[in-house]
Amino acid sequence: MYRAGGELKATWRISRVSVDELRRLEISVLWHTEGKGDEDLHVHHFERITDVPLKEIGVENEQSIQCVLPASPLSYHGQLIRLSWCVRMRLFLEDGREVLSESPFYVVTELQTAPCVATPSEGETQPEEIQEKKVIARASRASQTRSTLASLRR
Amino acid sequence: MPRLPMPWSKKRGQRTLGSPFAGVAGEVAFSTAAFLSGVFGLSLVLISRFAPQQVPDQVPAEALSSNLSSWVMGIVSVAAIVIGATRLIFRVMHLNASDEMRSVIATKAAALERLAPGQGGESGLPNVPRGKSITDSPGEYLSYRLPILAGQDGILGPALLALFWNTAWIILLAVVVSGFWIDRPRWIIAGLLIPFALIGRWSFQYFVSQMRQRLGVGPTVVEISDHPLKPGHAYEVFVSQGGRLKLKRLSVELVCEEETFFRQGTDVRVERHQAFGQVISKQRDVEVDPQSPWEQQFSIQITGNVMHSFAGTHNAIRWKFVVKGDSRPWPSFCRSYPVVVHPPDSIPNPSQR
Repeated sequence: MYRAGGELKATWRISRVSVDELRRLEISVLWHTEGKGDEDLHVHHFERITDVPLKEIGVENEQSIQCVLPASPLSYHGQLIRLSWCVRMRLFLEDGREVLSESPFYVVTELQTAPCVATPSEGETQPEEIQEKKVIARASRASQTRSTLASLRR
Repeated sequence: MPRLPMPWSKKRGQRTLGSPFAGVAGEVAFSTAAFLSGVFGLSLVLISRFAPQQVPDQVPAEALSSNLSSWVMGIVSVAAIVIGATRLIFRVMHLNASDEMRSVIATKAAALERLAPGQGGESGLPNVPRGKSITDSPGEYLSYRLPILAGQDGILGPALLALFWNTAWIILLAVVVSGFWIDRPRWIIAGLLIPFALIGRWSFQYFVSQMRQRLGVGPTVVEISDHPLKPGHAYEVFVSQGGRLKLKRLSVELVCEEETFFRQGTDVRVERHQAFGQVISKQRDVEVDPQSPWEQQFSIQITGNVMHSFAGTHNAIRWKFVVKGDSRPWPSFCRSYPVVVHPPDSIPNPSQR
């Protein structure tokens, strides 16, 4: 959970993939929408590392990324729209394949202890069920990230 | 049996059917074909114009004989060149670029546009609408008089429909009468006059009913003590309903609505869902008189943990005051007054990044 307008610090590293197999790497801090509508995506912080710097920094060692988050938009879980923040890493391999890995996080204000959730109307899902669904969604996202990282460790 | 590769790819939710490479190759082939056929067609038109003896025998002489057909073929060819070249350049430029990279390029282009004179600066709250037009009008009792949501109370559409349809009907009537006058009656047009007259009558009645509703229900005024709104803060709201009517019910609500646009086939659809609703007032059997309009002032407190206003390309979260009335001689009405809600206790800081 990060505060809107606060600083985000994260570390990353790539294991079991040699630097020779990597063509380039992109790491972004972004928000995107999910739900019924078409996706909106906005990259807040973006770094692109190509082959020569990749060899220089040594991607198997822990690298850091940091940026100041904007004051908005805040994370939101609604009925039609979900607004999610994440750190996304995209690897471009020499054989033309792309590997994507995401680590989601929440952006809230000082007054909030949890992201904003839409109030359900009559006959709709109760807040407890939404919370439960959110946990499941986070778990499935985490397992997706794990599987993506596993695919890196070929 | 091996399947032939399809020259397109199709998105089904999170999945993509067909190879993305085949989709790109198919689009490039289509754009190239459009561009080349445009060049070919334009060349033929130019040759026929400036060196007619050079036109190949296979091209029918009638195709380029008249000025009109030359123009039509020229315009179609130029359109094919522009569409083909644009799609081709766009596709080639976006090869090898990720979604994130495209978003960064678009953001940089938008930032350059904002530097142009007259574009205004950053509000410090990305993707939160500024709502500058909301505070344009000062209120009589409180700081700001809120504007009504555009297009909700419009009478221009029914007025224009009635005017143009009935004007067209009068012209047709003149044509029919002139036909009888010169002994060359136009029976088909005369036969169409009756159904067209019925449509004209309906459009006029619709316009009159809208006008009566507008005049009978009277204006609704909503004023607010401060803007933009912030969760956790308290505000004063003044509501006035004019006209001459007896209302079975009159309610004032503060509503947060999710709005999302999505493509379904070739259609662009919009769906809305009320994410939050706060009833400010609900009254029964309200009588409104032109001399004594219904006027009330309320204190409201915005709940702390609600989402702020948000405007993306395909998704939005909008806040508005809604005044609803069930009236007796007139049809029921529902009028919306948009407001902007900022994130709680946000301090705009333009030089944050």
